Amino acid sequence: MGIIKKLPIYSEKFPGGGIVTTSLEAALNQGRAKSLWYLLFGTACCAIELMCTGASRYDFDRLGMIFRATPRQADLILCAGTITKKMAPRLRRLYDQMAEPRYVIAMGGCTINGGPFYYDSYSVEKGIDHIIPVDIYIPGCPPRPESLMEGCIHLQEKIKKQKLLDWQEK
Amino acid sequence: MTRDELRAYIAEHYDGRLKPLKTGKYDPLYEVAVDKIFEVAKALKEDDNLKFDFLCNLGGVDTGEHFEAVYNIASISNNLRLDFKVIMSYDQAEVESLQEIWPAINWYEREMWELYGINVKNHDNLTRFLLPDDWDQGHPMRKDWDAPDFKRKPEL
Amino acid sequence: MRELRTEEFIVNMGPQHPSTHGVCRLVLTMDGEKIVKIEPVIGYLHRAIEKVMENRTYSQCIPMMDRVEYVTSMSCEYVFSLATERIAEMEVPERAKYLRVIMLELNRIASHLLFYGVTAMDIGALTPFLYGMRERELIIDLFEMTCGQRLTYNYIRIGGVSKDIPKGFEQKCRSALKVIAEKMSDYEGLLNENPIWLKRTKGVGILPKELAIAYGVSGPNLRASGVQYDLRRNDPYCIYDKFDFDIPVRYNGDCFDRYILRLDEIKQSMRIIYQALDGLPEGDVKNKKVKLTFKPPAGETYTRIENSRGELGVYLISDGGKKPLRVKTRGASFNHVQILPHFSTNMLIADLVANFATLDIIMPEVDR
Ligand code: SF4
Repeated sequence: MGIIKKLPIYSEKFPGGGIVTTSLEAALNQGRAKSLWYLLFGTACCAIELMCTGASRYDFDRLGMIFRATPRQADLILCAGTITKKMAPRLRRLYDQMAEPRYVIAMGGCTINGGPFYYDSYSVEKGIDHIIPVDIYIPGCPPRPESLMEGCIHLQEKIKKQKLLDWQEK
Repeated sequence: MTRDELRAYIAEHYDGRLKPLKTGKYDPLYEVAVDKIFEVAKALKEDDNLKFDFLCNLGGVDTGEHFEAVYNIASISNNLRLDFKVIMSYDQAEVESLQEIWPAINWYEREMWELYGINVKNHDNLTRFLLPDDWDQGHPMRKDWDAPDFKRKPEL
Repeated sequence: MRELRTEEFIVNMGPQHPSTHGVCRLVLTMDGEKIVKIEPVIGYLHRAIEKVMENRTYSQCIPMMDRVEYVTSMSCEYVFSLATERIAEMEVPERAKYLRVIMLELNRIASHLLFYGVTAMDIGALTPFLYGMRERELIIDLFEMTCGQRLTYNYIRIGGVSKDIPKGFEQKCRSALKVIAEKMSDYEGLLNENPIWLKRTKGVGILPKELAIAYGVSGPNLRASGVQYDLRRNDPYCIYDKFDFDIPVRYNGDCFDRYILRLDEIKQSMRIIYQALDGLPEGDVKNKKVKLTFKPPAGETYTRIENSRGELGVYLISDGGKKPLRVKTRGASFNHVQILPHFSTNMLIADLVANFATLDIIMPEVDR
């Protein structure tokens, strides 16, 4: 980890600046963390905030997050919005279609536990962790763009701590 | 035509077929007998002084004693609004489809059928569309409906 | 010459598709490039809001109404409050009425700006999205300043609004409107004469007037087909009869008209807001008699207002208790999805996307 932080200093000192020595793990993690392409999976209100985050003022791209419309090209499902019982099998299928390593962010109360529909809605899935594993939970109804971005930064931190064999073991 | 003029006009020309109800606030509300519904709706649309050509809404209601189907209609050319409802008992929950008169009613009738179990006669496509395909827990909008993950909120 | 026919096949579009605005699924039967049949499948966002509301008190219903149509949540709150006020025959202070109009119109502008960006993105132009969202943030700032939320406001309550506008709101509102008015020419310059845009929208997806009325199409989509019908004028609610504004109408009913009409509406909404800001009276913003456990007398009413998508209605039945007996919401998009198969066949998939986008469909209103 330490080497990553000091990387700019080291690389300048090398003649030509081309060669860096690091562990394979750190290099891979750095690559994964800094270009997280997310699957645009907006189903309800939270999707509007997701769009705001992606647009001019909040500029999601600077975290290396670019939206993809197909799960095959995405590393991350940013699950924004209510998941109903009818939608749940589709979410599972999209998750299965993604290439490993894959991550999930649950954005908003609905994806955490059903949110405002927790008590008495007959058709809302009470939390997406019944369907797919979740890495980061972002509370709010809807969460502000800032908290969404903070959630993504936390995910990047988490990715950087990954071990090389983490995904093979599963 | 103002609301009061509309009330007077209906009382004069549709007496007996449209029975005014006191509970309706703001816009006039009437009750229609179940077997007359098609005929009355057709007359309301074809009457040149009214010309109700726009269907706003149709909703089923379960009052705890019986079912109701409430039709909210409007006229774009004459700028009018009117509601009418039919009342059905639980064991004879069936209305005639009004698709011929207002094509927009198609999905509203489907929704009512799905969520309340009110049967719609002569409907061309009475299939499930809001609930999951493998839904087997009955009609959720009924008052006596219950399910394991459905909790009533505690009283204030 | 012998007529050539290819075998029909089925393409599934959605429910997770970026240009179906959420979770609509369209099952398309194709003959080569042409669409033969469209079958919309809805219900992927059916959250049972109507059932949930039967289980809440009147004041608890308002946050639920926010989620019925989150792009213009203000109008959803408003229509529910208005229905309750009509049943209870309750007075609303004058200042609250003005504030409501300001918020409703600001929300309409925000929604149309979102439409502008998203529609352009669906049709293939990415820049307008950034432009539209940039100015939308200015309006969202105003809302945030007033009620602390960016999307689901819970601001308009039964009997008034939750609190008065903060200091400096008026000035900030005026400067935001000025910026938007300046940027309007940018918006028009980007798309109105853009040949690709014109090719994609002009003459595409023509919705005839008779069909539109028969299928209950309302709002800007109806006015783009040549029917001058706006509930703010034709069935006035709140204090809209005090303001001077035009109802824009277009007559071709194609995608281009539906798009340009919304830009025209932004200008009219700005006129209304200026007038409301000028005439804003002093006084209370809330009817003091409304308590948390407020019980309206028994009664029922269908209330409808014009929101940015069309007619938004609520059928509210009260039995005199703390909770409503039945709340049926009517969203304009429900009819707009329903009519899609009736005028979008025999076109290319790309044109269907243009059609879907310019109808400005939003799914929570359809599924509820
Ligand atoms: S958490 Fe709130 S804002 Fe987000 S989808 Fe659920 S209801 Fe909508």
